[in-house]
Amino acid sequence: MRRIIAVWVTKFLILIGRLGGKGGSSTPGHFALKICPNILKFLSGQVRDGIIAVCGTNGKTTTNNLLCTMLRAEGKKVVCNSLGANMLEGVVTAFASSADLFGRLDADFACIEIDEISAVKVFDHFIPKSMIITNLFRDQLDRYGEIDITVDYLKRAVEKAKNITLILNADDPLVAAFGKKTGNPCVFFGVGEDVGISLNETKEGRFCSFCGEELSYRFYHYSQLGDYGCGSCGFSRPEVRFEATEVNISEGLSFNVDGRRIHADYRGFYNIYNILAAYSAASHAGAELKDLQSVLGGYKPQVGRMETFFIGKPVVFNLSKNPAGFNQAISSVSGDGRSKDVVVVINDNAQDGRDISWIWDVDFERLKDVKAKTFTASGIRHCDVMVRFKYAGLENTKDTGDVLKAIEDALKTDSEVLYVLVNYTALFSTQKILKRLEGDYKSGKGGRWE
Amino acid sequence: MKLSIGHLFPELLNLYGDRGNIISLRRRMEWRGMEAEVTEYKLNDNIDFSKLDIVFLGGGSDREQLLVCKRLGGIREAFKDYVEGGGVVIAICGGYQLLGHYYKLKNELVPGLSILDIFTESGVGRLIGNAVIKADFSDVPIVGFENHGGRTYIGDHKPLGKVLFGSGNNGSDGGEGVIYKNVIGTYLHGPLFPKNPHLCDMVIKNALEKKYGKAELAPLEDEAEYKANSFIVNKYTRK
Ligand SMILES: [Zn+2]
Repeated sequence: MRRIIAVWVTKFLILIGRLGGKGGSSTPGHFALKICPNILKFLSGQVRDGIIAVCGTNGKTTTNNLLCTMLRAEGKKVVCNSLGANMLEGVVTAFASSADLFGRLDADFACIEIDEISAVKVFDHFIPKSMIITNLFRDQLDRYGEIDITVDYLKRAVEKAKNITLILNADDPLVAAFGKKTGNPCVFFGVGEDVGISLNETKEGRFCSFCGEELSYRFYHYSQLGDYGCGSCGFSRPEVRFEATEVNISEGLSFNVDGRRIHADYRGFYNIYNILAAYSAASHAGAELKDLQSVLGGYKPQVGRMETFFIGKPVVFNLSKNPAGFNQAISSVSGDGRSKDVVVVINDNAQDGRDISWIWDVDFERLKDVKAKTFTASGIRHCDVMVRFKYAGLENTKDTGDVLKAIEDALKTDSEVLYVLVNYTALFSTQKILKRLEGDYKSGKGGRWE
Repeated sequence: MKLSIGHLFPELLNLYGDRGNIISLRRRMEWRGMEAEVTEYKLNDNIDFSKLDIVFLGGGSDREQLLVCKRLGGIREAFKDYVEGGGVVIAICGGYQLLGHYYKLKNELVPGLSILDIFTESGVGRLIGNAVIKADFSDVPIVGFENHGGRTYIGDHKPLGKVLFGSGNNGSDGGEGVIYKNVIGTYLHGPLFPKNPHLCDMVIKNALEKKYGKAELAPLEDEAEYKANSFIVNKYTRK
């Protein structure tokens, strides 16, 4: 009975949350666990074919949603925490909201994105059949201390799950070494050729996780991702089961994998990894993926992943919350030949990480040649971003804590496109502003930006 | 005028945007028509301290720090002579801890360089957050972000500043960092120099004086830097 009450309460709180206009939420799950501590065990136990967990610093949400879309296209019923609430409570919310009023869950699969630190807690409630690790970059340092600590948490999680198959990014030496050390069965995916996009940036984990020697690289993609090997102990990029070859990133993304050509109309090289990860996991789970092309065509990247608006001119909106993600966004900005303005919004709320020192590991210097009409620093830490702009040698910079004003002013120039790059807690508030401005424009109130 | 800056092992010690400190040093010299030559040293490179005017050591994870200290053992004497002779050193977080006798972890003792008479012990929980300190040389506070598990005890040495907000060296004695001759050790990153141009300039000045005998630094327009500095000061120390 407690279980059913817990499900009801969760559903009721989700409803209330929706009325209040909140996005992904962990509050309902929090109360569900209070009422019935084994609610998650009970609900997840009803999943017929298995649970797939998605971990890693960047690309979790996109990968998880892609995976879920792929499995649904096979006619499977799938539970998914699609809004990215990825701590224990958010996972509970996802399961409870999929259950019926009697606490019954009708699902073949569950695709669950889990925060790296939370996995060890979540695995007390269920053990997934497989787990994707997308990559391990620096993120939210003040929350986790150091990347080694993140790896340690993941290790403790996997120790609870000796039979779990790990689906791993072979190009990331930290991820590959992690897999090797666990002794679990591993399935690797990766990009098997030099795509010519490497940057000079901070490369976390460029040293061998086994013996400490510096790794040598045949080629890099970005951050520490590439084809690496250790001259001292022989550790190297493992054999790859799902390998992308003949990669083309000039118009959308195209590559071969598993003997088929894949094309996706997304921007950003990193999305190849998201597609590969989801493909590998779906394929490993037995999906045939016959309609893959239409799945990719129909998939809408979620909020703030190169999301576009039209407010008298195109506005490209992107979440960029750590150096690896931000440098990728900068590549997209500098690869766009149109005249442009750039707005950067950086907050330092608890969920962002209070420490924003990472903005100095972002190659803002590369925007010097972009010739934007204006660069605007905004968000709670606009002063810090402004200093970063200054030392990167950018011109035509300004700053304001008022995000609406920053965007409105940038729309007034005669540039062809506006880029808005934000970190985590600025995501939903900035999206709301852009949606409103787009609505105003469409209803004819937006003439002032022409 | 020209300064040679040695950035020691940036591939290992660059945890919290430390690169920003080097960018700051370089730009603030360039804006004054001076030249900064930055050399990045890899772990097994030979370091000739006599050719360097500023030595920079950033922060690393415990694992990376252990690799560095194994290597630095071999150049301890040369490094110590450099320091005693008035050489300028900036050491942050892990780099700061390495200047002392040791860093005592739960199950391991990481030997330091014993350049300074200080030591570090791991404590319960990490000391994490924005920090504001007051140093003697300026009325403008120094701001930064600290994130360290180690507690550093500096004995008879002088701290870089008095903690106005945050934890400082060990969370108990009210001091942050250390200053000895031309050596500055500190837990503050953020990175340190961009938001503390007064500190960056002091370091440049010390290095110029050591090399050329006398140095006057032309003032720069530092509005953006001090705005970012006072944002933190106001947020955390004004009630
Ligand atoms: Zn090795």
